[in-house]
Amino acid sequence: MARPAGLVYAADETPPPLILLLSALQHVGVIAITLVYPIIIAREAGLSPKELLDVVSLSMFALGAATVLLSARSPISGANFLCPACYTAIYLGPSLFALRYGGLALVFGMTMVAGFTEIAIAPLLRRLRPMFPPEIAGLVIAVVGLSLAFLGARYSLGITSQHGIQPAYLAIAGSALATMIVLNIWTKGYTKLFCALIGMGVGFAASAMLGEFDMSVAIPPEGLEILRVPGFQHVSWRFDAVLIAPFLVAALASTLRLMGDVSTAQRLNDADWVRPSMRSLSGGVAGLGLASVFCGLVGVPGVNTSSQSMGLCSATGITSRALVYAIAIIYALMAFVPAVAVGFATMPPPVMGASLFFASLFIFTNGLQMMTARMLDSRKTIVIGTSFAMAVMADVYHDLFAGLPAVLQPVFGSSLVVGTVCAVLLNLVMRIGVRQRVSLRLAAGQIDREAVERFFSEQGARWAARRDIVNRATFGAVQVLEVLGDPPGGVEIEASFDEFNLEVRIRYVGTPLALPEHKPTPREIVANEDGERLLAGYLLRRSADRISSHTSGDRCEVHLHYDH
Amino acid sequence: MASNSLNIAESRAGMICIVALAGRIDSTNAEQLMTRLNSLLSSGEKAILVDFSEVIYLTSAAFRALLVATDEAERNTARFVLCSVLGQVRELFEMGGLLDAFTIHGSREEALTRLG
Repeated sequence: MARPAGLVYAADETPPPLILLLSALQHVGVIAITLVYPIIIAREAGLSPKELLDVVSLSMFALGAATVLLSARSPISGANFLCPACYTAIYLGPSLFALRYGGLALVFGMTMVAGFTEIAIAPLLRRLRPMFPPEIAGLVIAVVGLSLAFLGARYSLGITSQHGIQPAYLAIAGSALATMIVLNIWTKGYTKLFCALIGMGVGFAASAMLGEFDMSVAIPPEGLEILRVPGFQHVSWRFDAVLIAPFLVAALASTLRLMGDVSTAQRLNDADWVRPSMRSLSGGVAGLGLASVFCGLVGVPGVNTSSQSMGLCSATGITSRALVYAIAIIYALMAFVPAVAVGFATMPPPVMGASLFFASLFIFTNGLQMMTARMLDSRKTIVIGTSFAMAVMADVYHDLFAGLPAVLQPVFGSSLVVGTVCAVLLNLVMRIGVRQRVSLRLAAGQIDREAVERFFSEQGARWAARRDIVNRATFGAVQVLEVLGDPPGGVEIEASFDEFNLEVRIRYVGTPLALPEHKPTPREIVANEDGERLLAGYLLRRSADRISSHTSGDRCEVHLHYDH
Repeated sequence: MASNSLNIAESRAGMICIVALAGRIDSTNAEQLMTRLNSLLSSGEKAILVDFSEVIYLTSAAFRALLVATDEAERNTARFVLCSVLGQVRELFEMGGLLDAFTIHGSREEALTRLG
């Protein structure tokens, strides 16, 4: 692990108090924009001004708690890196669907179900990886961006079943969006960093000038208190199996996004980063699950890691985990100040629309980049093309799918669900026959290590396998041969590869290989050749992602597995 | 991973004997390395620097050879240090939990400064 040049404060380092506070405030500012999602859900639910304030205050409190659960390492959860939480467009579609289907209680109940799904996924992350390759993660993100753009356009233009395009809305959303785009493209530093927040401010001002700013939506008739404990009157829970599909997909999509963000956090802290630490990813996903369960319990929608915060960490070089607690404390304090909640809750619909549309542009193109980052062969092209077309069709032919049985509505009524389900199923089908297998036979008395190196090097190039993984497999095979010496019947090395796994099986006649769990001491290694064999076994155990040794009669097999 | 044999080159920088290794170190050549290092130590060398910058990989046999040389250096009150342990080679030291078993410097220049 090497320190990257631009890193100012690593995850384990603590900045001075003033830098800590200012950095935490920056994250709070960047993340606060996503409060727009719980506000949309609360408004669609038709909550009273007091209940709307409760939702916003509880949403802020939940962000703080979720940031701790996602980032701080504990025996059961946490990525062990600074990964602030934010609300996400991923949950918006399923939540609005659940709201129409069974009210807020169903939104909160099913958010908890999504959380439990993430908790269940966490320990299985490594094994599930082949089901969700980066191009499918990209597809999910792109579809989220696309549906967010539709929603943003609807809010920006003020289109409802009663209204067409409202000119005042168009002017407000246009001014907010233009500000965001201009600041983002033609400025640097803080104005670029906070372009969305400043654009929202411009939108607020335009709304006030055009008479579209209505304080009464969030200020109770009895007025505002200075400090207030948020209430839970709007909170209850309901569960319905019909809604499992969209929330399962939301849980998967959140997990995929978290994996990308936590990998970024790891990379920011390590110049030698080659592949993500699965322990950190699993901890992060478990933390995400706990955070979503917590959100459902306190009556707010599900959360995700904040990709914008990752961008901030990259720009400032400050990745200290101490920020986690500072962010949590700031959000907890804000939750008890109703004036702060009013600032967000009174956001006019066209301003929300502009924010959503602006965010959707980046989400959509991020998804596209993820989809096309790796070379797309025919299999992947069919998976991505078909799934993307299906997702768009779900939005375009919405009325056509409305006639389907109620149990299928949550699947075909959401572009996100249709696209993801289609991609996952097609990906599984297309993986048939993708594994390639080759073997090398070394006769007794002709154990040639150079031939082994050549075998792995040539196959690795043919399979376009990652160089570092091929090098580890080569080391593994050579180290096994070194311990085996020259077995009487020779050695057979079999290597098989698919996109996610490199398996090496070494078969011989003799005694099984010792693979100690504990490392031998330097004294034991020097003492005799048994010590060296123990070190060999220990090195093999550590260098492979999984290793096992089997015997059948006098035939032995060492199986080395490498994640790719 | 093209090179088969281990190449051992010796040079001097003042009182320091520099042993530059190139290729892979495994059971076929670990004995050769151990013999070479031990003969340097028994000939009275008091500071030996082993440069790993050209090493492709090493196996358990190589680690044993290096540990034996470290013991021998201690017995002879000589300084025995490694440098330029990078990439996959460094990963192997880490995997074996052997980074602490040796004195390792980042580069040859840094090691020469410390030894000088």
